Amino acid sequence: MVSIDELQRLVEEASSNGAEYAEARYHRVEGQSLMFYNGMLVGASQPLTEGVAIRVLYKGSMGFSSTSDLTPSGLREALQRAISAARSSLRQVKRATSVGHAFLGSARYSVVERKPLLDMSLEDKISDLSERLKSVDFSREGMKVNSYTLSYGERIEHKLTVTNDGAMVESRIPRVALFYNITASAGERRANRWNQLGASGGYEAVSSLRVAEEMARDLDSLHINLVKAKSPPQGTMDVVLGPEIVGLAMHEAVGHPSEADRIMGREAAQAGLSYRRELKEGKIGSELVSVYDDPTIPGSYGFYLYDDEGVAARKRTLIDRGRLAEMLHNRETAAAYGLESNASARAIDHRSEPIVRMANTYMAPGDHSFEEIIESVREGVYIAKYMEWNIDDYRWGARYVGLEAYVIRGGRIEEPVRNVVLEINTREFFSSVDAVGKDLTFSAGTCGKGEPPQPLPVTMGGPHVLLRGVRVK
Amino acid sequence: MAREIAERAARLLAGKVDEYLVSAGLVSSVMVKYANGEVSVTQAWKDYSLTVYATKGGRMNVATYTAQEPSPLLAQLPAMIEKLTPSPLYAPLPEPTGVSLSFVDRKIKEAAAEGDASALTIDLQEKDVAGMISAQHSHSHYLGSNGLDLGYEITSYNGYLRVFKGDDSGQWAWVSTSLEPRMAVEALVRASDLAEMCHSLPKETAAGEHRVLLSPMIAGNLLEHVAEAANAGSVIMGFSFFQGKEPGAVVASEELSIKEVPRDSRLPGYRGFDDEGVATSDKYLIEKGSFRGLLHNSKTARLTGQKSTGNAGLILPRLFNIEIEGGDLRESELLEALGDGLYATNNWYTRFQNHVEGLFSTVTRDAFFIVKRGRPVACARRVRITGSMPELLMHIEGLSRERWQLKWWEIDTPSIVPFVLLKRAQVTSVTS
Repeated sequence: MVSIDELQRLVEEASSNGAEYAEARYHRVEGQSLMFYNGMLVGASQPLTEGVAIRVLYKGSMGFSSTSDLTPSGLREALQRAISAARSSLRQVKRATSVGHAFLGSARYSVVERKPLLDMSLEDKISDLSERLKSVDFSREGMKVNSYTLSYGERIEHKLTVTNDGAMVESRIPRVALFYNITASAGERRANRWNQLGASGGYEAVSSLRVAEEMARDLDSLHINLVKAKSPPQGTMDVVLGPEIVGLAMHEAVGHPSEADRIMGREAAQAGLSYRRELKEGKIGSELVSVYDDPTIPGSYGFYLYDDEGVAARKRTLIDRGRLAEMLHNRETAAAYGLESNASARAIDHRSEPIVRMANTYMAPGDHSFEEIIESVREGVYIAKYMEWNIDDYRWGARYVGLEAYVIRGGRIEEPVRNVVLEINTREFFSSVDAVGKDLTFSAGTCGKGEPPQPLPVTMGGPHVLLRGVRVK
Repeated sequence: MAREIAERAARLLAGKVDEYLVSAGLVSSVMVKYANGEVSVTQAWKDYSLTVYATKGGRMNVATYTAQEPSPLLAQLPAMIEKLTPSPLYAPLPEPTGVSLSFVDRKIKEAAAEGDASALTIDLQEKDVAGMISAQHSHSHYLGSNGLDLGYEITSYNGYLRVFKGDDSGQWAWVSTSLEPRMAVEALVRASDLAEMCHSLPKETAAGEHRVLLSPMIAGNLLEHVAEAANAGSVIMGFSFFQGKEPGAVVASEELSIKEVPRDSRLPGYRGFDDEGVATSDKYLIEKGSFRGLLHNSKTARLTGQKSTGNAGLILPRLFNIEIEGGDLRESELLEALGDGLYATNNWYTRFQNHVEGLFSTVTRDAFFIVKRGRPVACARRVRITGSMPELLMHIEGLSRERWQLKWWEIDTPSIVPFVLLKRAQVTSVTS
C-alpha cells in the first residue's frame, strides 16, 4: 500500500524536476479465479498486481513509468525513470503534448458489496458455482455436448490517483465475471458458443448474471444451429437484430471510432483509425439512433465515477438522433481539441498508462415492442445472436455471423437458418434503422486496446433494431 | 535477486503442500511509441513477479503476484488449497530435465534498466509513421519440489511501424533477442514502400475467389492460430479444429511445415525448460502437410495418454516460438508466381465463427494489391479473407525462401515466417 501523501510527494518532486504535469497512481488489483471443466473444478488462482504508475509531461514530451517496488527508493527511482523516458525522446517530439483543464475530483468512493467478495469463503463460491452448473440440462435431442468450461473471476480494484494540479481520488471497485464455452456436435457438424457475463459489486452480482439460464439459452441456440437450421436466404431484405448484436455494433462501430486518441492517430499502428477523421459531426444515420457511453451506471461492469486522471465521470452522447456528437476524451486529447476531458482515461493496472476507453456503450431504446418490429417485416431475417464478428481498422466495414437466426415471413418468425452473414458498412447500418425496440439489454465484454494491450471491462447495450433493406449473404 | 525471492517462497511452502513450483522474476523494459511521425509517449517498466503453483491431494492452485516479499501472500495458501476439490487435470510434477539457457544483449539490458529510449529511436525520414519500438530484459528463477532449480535471462527487441501516404498505408514488424536497429530501418522502408506503391495505384474493390499471396505479417497471424490449435489445451477446452486428428493425418498441403522452436536463440521465447522444468525441444507441429501431434504439459499428457512435449504452462500447455519453414520461391519471384490474384500485406481481427470447424474471417489492413500478370495494377481497401482454416492450409501452393522474425499486436508468439502463396481463397468486401 502506498499513501496519498507518498503519491503527493512524488508529483511535487516531479514538478520541482521541471514536469509541467505529473500524475501518480497507486493501483492494486486483487483477484480470485476458479475454472471448471465439464462440471469439475480444475483449479483456483489468485492474481494480485500492485504498484505505482507515474506520468510526467516534460517539455511537451510524455513519459510513463511503473514499478512494483513500493519502497521509498523504488518510487523515487520510478519517478526518475519517467523523467528519463520523457527526456530521452525529446528530440523526436515535434508538437508539444499538453494536458488540459478538467473538472478534477477530490473524492473517495467505493462500490457497496452486499455479499463482500473477501468475506465469502472459497468453499461457498465453489459450491454455489457447482450447483449452478448442475442445474443446467445439457441434453438436447440430436445434439451431443462434447465439452464445456466455466471460469469465474473476481477482481477488486483499489486506486489512488494524485496529480500536481489538484486531483486526489481514491476508489474501490469490485467486479465479478463469468466466462463459458460449450462445444457441441450433431453428426459431422460441430459448433461452439463462448460467452461472457459481468457486473460490478459483490458476490450477489453472480446471482443477477443468471449463468445457468444463459447457458441453457445458448444450448438452445447451438441446438437450433446444429440440428434445425437450414441454409439462409441471400439478397436484400429487412433484418431484425437482437440486443446482443446491436450492443456489439455500438461498441465497435460507434464507441471505438469516437475515441479521440484514435481519431488523432495515436493508436494508428495498433487499434487503427476512425471514420470520424473525415465525418466530424455530420449525419451518420436515422433520427431513431442515439448512442451513449455512461460510466456511471450502477452495477455495470464498466462502472466508475472518476477516471484515471481524476476527472469526474459523466454520460457522453456519441450519436444524437442520427448525428455524430461527442468524442471520448482524456485530458491530452481534450486539450488538442480545445475541450475539457469527459473522463474517458482508463488504465487496467499499475503497468498501464491511462488511455481513452469506453465504459458502458449503448443505443437508446425506442418505442417499439419486439412483436411490433417482427410484425412490420414482410420478408427478412431475425438474427438473435452472433458467433463471429470483426470490423476494419477504420471502423467502417463490419461483419456479423448469426449463431441463432430465423426467416421472417409475413410478420411471423418462421424456420431457423444457419450462419447468416451480415456484412455492412457503418453508414448503411445506421441509415437503415427503421424501428428501435423498448427492450434495452446489456452484455459484458472485454475491450482490447493499447500497447502493451489493456483488456478492460466494459458493457455493450442495445434493444432489438430493425434494419430496412440491407444485404444478407 | 530472483533466486532469493524464489527460495524464500519455496521455504514457506515446503512441508505444507504436496508439491510446489515457484518462479520469481524481474522484468525491465522501455518502449517508445510513435504517432503522426513523432513520439507520442515513452514508457518504462520495472516489475517483480512471483508465481506459485501448489498442489495438495490432487487439488491445484496458482497464485501470481507483483511482489518481492512472498511471506504475507503465501501465509494463507496451504489452508486455501484444502478448500478446493481434486482436479480432473491433475498430474504429478515430472522430473526436471531442462537446462538453463540465456541470451542477453548488453545494450538492451542497459536501455531497459535506465528507461532510456534513445538507443531505440530511429530516423523516421519525415514520414507519417505510427508504431512502437521496445526493449526488454527479463530474469527469472524457478524452484520446485520436484528438484527444479533453473533460471533464464533473456532480452528482447521488437517493434512495428505503420507508414501512411495519404489514405494508404503499409506496415511491418520485427522481433529479436539482440538490438539490431537495421530491423527497424528495414521495417520502415518496407512499410513505406507498400504505402507508396498502393498510393500510386488506382483503387478498386475485390471480391470472390482468387489466388492470394500473403505477406509474412498476415501469414504469421493465421499460422499462429494454427499452432495454437495444436495446443492440447485448445483441443480439450473446445477451441481447436485439430480435435480428433491423429499424428500422420494430412492437414495441410505438403508445402507447409510448422515447428515450435523454444531452442532458437534469435527469438525471445528461447527457453531450455518449460514451466514444469521439463526440457524444451524444437519440434514439428505439421511436417510437409502431415500433422505431427499436439503440444502437451504433464497434465494434458496424462489426460490423453501422451508424453509431455516440454511445453508446460502451469495448467495448460503453451507456445514459446514458432517457425514456418521456407519454400523455393524467391521474394523477387513471388508476384510472378502469383500471376493474376491478390496480394495481402497485413490483417487484423481474425475471428472464428466456429473454432472446432475452423471457420473464420480476417480483415485486411494496409496495402492490398490486385495483381495482373505479376504486376500490381490496383489497390483495394479493407476486404476480408473468409473460409475454413483447414481448407486454407490445403491450398498453400508455395512459400518464400526468405523469412522474417515477427511479433506484433496480431502475432503474439515470436515467429519466423515466409511469404505464403495460396492457390485460392475467398475474399469478401463491404460496399464503400
